[in-house]
Amino acid sequence: MNSARHYYRPGSRLWLALRFSHLPLEVCQLEDAANKPIVIIEKQRVIYLNKCAYAAGVRYGVDITTAQLLSQCETHPRDKQKEVTALNELSAQLYQFTPYIETYICQHVPQSGLLLEISTCLKLFSGVRALVAQIVHYLQSTAYTCEYGFAHSAKGAWLLSFQPTEITGDETKEIFCERLKNLPIQLLHDFPAVIDALKKTGFATLGDITRQIEAQKISSIKKRFGVAFTQTICDIFAIEQDLQQRSLFDKPLTVYQPLEVFSENIQFDYPISQSDQLHYPIEHLLQNLSQYLRKRQFACQHIEWQFSDIYHNQFLLPVHSDSEESHWQLLYDLTLIQLDNRELPFAVDSLTLTCRDASLVQHQSQTLAFDHSRKSRSGARSFAITMAKLKARLGDAAIYKLSYRDALLPETSQATIALHEAANQQLPDIHKKALRPTWLLPAPAIIEERKQGLYWRGPLTLVVGPERIRSSWWETPSARDYFIAQRHDHVRLWVFLDLHIKTWHVHGIFG
Amino acid sequence: MNSTPTDTSDTRLEQLLKRSDIWRGNSRALVPQPTLDTGYTELNASLLNGGWPTRSLVEVCQRGLQQQEWLLFSPVLKAVKGYIVLLNPPALPFCQALIQADIDLERVIIVEVANKADFLASFVELARSESCEALLAWQQHQALSYTELRKCLLASNEGSGLCALLRPESAQQQSSPASLRLSTEITATAVQVNIFKQKGILQQHKSAPIALPLPTAWKGLLPYHLLDQAIPGHSDAAGKRKKLASISSIKRGK
Repeated sequence: MNSARHYYRPGSRLWLALRFSHLPLEVCQLEDAANKPIVIIEKQRVIYLNKCAYAAGVRYGVDITTAQLLSQCETHPRDKQKEVTALNELSAQLYQFTPYIETYICQHVPQSGLLLEISTCLKLFSGVRALVAQIVHYLQSTAYTCEYGFAHSAKGAWLLSFQPTEITGDETKEIFCERLKNLPIQLLHDFPAVIDALKKTGFATLGDITRQIEAQKISSIKKRFGVAFTQTICDIFAIEQDLQQRSLFDKPLTVYQPLEVFSENIQFDYPISQSDQLHYPIEHLLQNLSQYLRKRQFACQHIEWQFSDIYHNQFLLPVHSDSEESHWQLLYDLTLIQLDNRELPFAVDSLTLTCRDASLVQHQSQTLAFDHSRKSRSGARSFAITMAKLKARLGDAAIYKLSYRDALLPETSQATIALHEAANQQLPDIHKKALRPTWLLPAPAIIEERKQGLYWRGPLTLVVGPERIRSSWWETPSARDYFIAQRHDHVRLWVFLDLHIKTWHVHGIFG
Repeated sequence: MNSTPTDTSDTRLEQLLKRSDIWRGNSRALVPQPTLDTGYTELNASLLNGGWPTRSLVEVCQRGLQQQEWLLFSPVLKAVKGYIVLLNPPALPFCQALIQADIDLERVIIVEVANKADFLASFVELARSESCEALLAWQQHQALSYTELRKCLLASNEGSGLCALLRPESAQQQSSPASLRLSTEITATAVQVNIFKQKGILQQHKSAPIALPLPTAWKGLLPYHLLDQAIPGHSDAAGKRKKLASISSIKRGK
């Protein structure tokens, strides 16, 4: 405790880097991974190999065929998403030790890990050694292997994790800098091109670079190796560049925001077999969700119901809304629609509502219209709710709008579009005055040609026409003469004669 | 002491008479109901309150899908500002004709249903919605029972727009709770609208059908056998020329 107070003055930062060097393999969760050669590949190259594969002669960067020829190894593609998920899970657990957690993923080598700022938590956990011991103890209980680095800067701690040293709690900034100076420049993985340039110039360790900075000005390094590299070196050693009081201009620490999940459960006194009896518990849980969302100014689009029976059988019912909701009514209606469409597979003993994906209400956008009254806004809201309910019942494809498409043939000149898409209503002048039917048949129906004339559910007489419509030159050749025909019952039909195959068709009805 | 119960019953009676769904025989002295202009003067004159009743169910019985429903409703569809929903239409409307009729495609929503349960549920949802100002629903294959029609009527009463249910000709013989029932029939020159039930008016005698004229562009040429008498005073040569032109346009198809 005393040593901590003595060495770490208030305001100075302490970083603990946790580097998960075997993460690409460990996220695959393979059985018996230590006793057989396994390689992880990305873009057909080996980016990770275990000890058995190394012993068989496989090296980093070789292609997949060579690796298999050398070691008969198992190959697995790298799953970056799983790695990110694993790091997020670890962050959530490490939040118990410190609120300042950053994730570090190197873009050039498969090295990723977490950076923890612990200077503000020393008192709570009785000093550095006790805190680190607790973190180590926790990580040993997980499936991930970890290397530790401890320094006064985040990047410094990350680099020191490649040469682990025992943490005594007596370290000072000078000791950290000395340790860092001994590190080889190859560890600067983010700058592969600069490493080559440094090697050619004769630099071997980070100490060579700092000596260069001490001998000359930092601007010489900046000029030769770029601003980004210089900034990284300054970050590693916490070198103050131009400012007199750098602490005033420190980069603020990233505060870890744990992922909030709403999950509530109701345990029934007796098993429920009729879905009607679930209506009240569903309403109660959704009202609680609504309160939770509104307190945090959140809205959600997706919720999940989990029905369980006494034998732990589970039945999941996802409910998806078209728009983001913080009120419970629409979600309640959508749930009932989903529930009406299916039967309960068992007598329900407990009901759980989970909402994982909530987003801030402020992120939503809406049209700023001064001329519209409050009523029109509430009308739009009521329309959105009605459509969401209909979509839940009928499916997305059952509800659509029509849009004009610039094409010559009638069947290709219109398209069905989703509700959120804008309809094209720019009708060319050529079509504006032409007679068009109100109903278009899904496909032209063939007209019977009898001795007395044309016949389609009754004799037809041509009354207006013809209007020649041809397809575009790049399409299948088609030429049609369109007429309005009157049937014996006075119904007007839109018929055409196909000039290529000489047959008559009905294409529309004037309704 | 005696006056209090009488007063209460009077008030109750007044309250009851104010309800729009109390039938009062052949009396037009009812509470005025909101309506929408049909676009046809004669039709407006025949309808109670002078237009299509909103917040109630209008039933149109027609033969097949060709009895000019668009001609009947396009003036009102053009006038409404909210959404127009076509529920279970018999075919796809042709967007070129809708644009020509000045109907905004952004407001025309088409809803397809697979069975009667979905049809009823969708009708109820749409009829209740404030934003849906015109709902045209086609009942095609499965007949609706009186109870189901009553459900549609109650949903229409809760909404604010025009709800029209288009039914086959055979439905005319069935009893229905709709507040306005009419049938349409197309003739050579007009669409005849026959109102056979209207809540608030006793249809004792069959009234003469209302004729809505067909667009002149649809009439086209006269039939072939009438071409000679078509334009009195014109020379025979001119008549023959026209006749030949008409024949050639048809013969090209043969």
